[in-house]
Amino acid sequence: MSIEVVSPVSGLAAPLGEVPDPVFSQAMVGPGMAVKPRGGRSAAVAPIAGTVATLHPHAFVISAGEGIAILVHLGIDTVKLTGEGFTVHAAQGDTVRAGQRIVSWDPTEVETHGLSSVCPVVALEAGTEMLGDLREDGQVLAGEAVFTVE
Amino acid sequence: MVEDKAAAILAALGGGNNVVEIEPCITRLRCEVEDGSRVDETALKSAGAHGVMRQGSVVQVVVGPEADTLAGDIEDLL
Repeated sequence: MSIEVVSPVSGLAAPLGEVPDPVFSQAMVGPGMAVKPRGGRSAAVAPIAGTVATLHPHAFVISAGEGIAILVHLGIDTVKLTGEGFTVHAAQGDTVRAGQRIVSWDPTEVETHGLSSVCPVVALEAGTEMLGDLREDGQVLAGEAVFTVE
Repeated sequence: MVEDKAAAILAALGGGNNVVEIEPCITRLRCEVEDGSRVDETALKSAGAHGVMRQGSVVQVVVGPEADTLAGDIEDLL
């Protein structure tokens, strides 16, 4: 069975290799893509339906079970902001639907701290061959399909 | 199993007295160590790290989403 993964944010799709962090650009935790978000405060949404497995203000993992889990990281090195400017709308263990808002944040504000606001969307511990229909360029809207995983 | 992994990572970081601070991020452990030369990257990788990044006294050990659990287990060993 194939699961459709939707973009957590609206912006410009890009290859994971362009993310300025080797953990993501070298796909150390799994394959995927990235989205350079539009500026302004908005909500980052769940990329798949499932359970909130991990939740930090700056990053979250939604697990669909059967080994499929999608990590969304809101900007790079944003752990340094210690949650400042991020509003969390869910809790660990919550059941969520794809497209449901998880965290509100402002990519422009992240950039004022000298950090990249790019958002890696990663299929944790998945093999590259498990991904399909990968979007790596062009504008995407939050909630729009960016790849499939099986 | 996970506790063994925590012990192996701690040993590869040069042991408990070499670790100043350990903090989990979503995909990695951010560790501040006393003496960087005592960190064994090969041992970290055999302990299951997907990658190791070093910047001065800060060593980032990429362990994937189990970072939170592992950091907790390592704290227990300290």
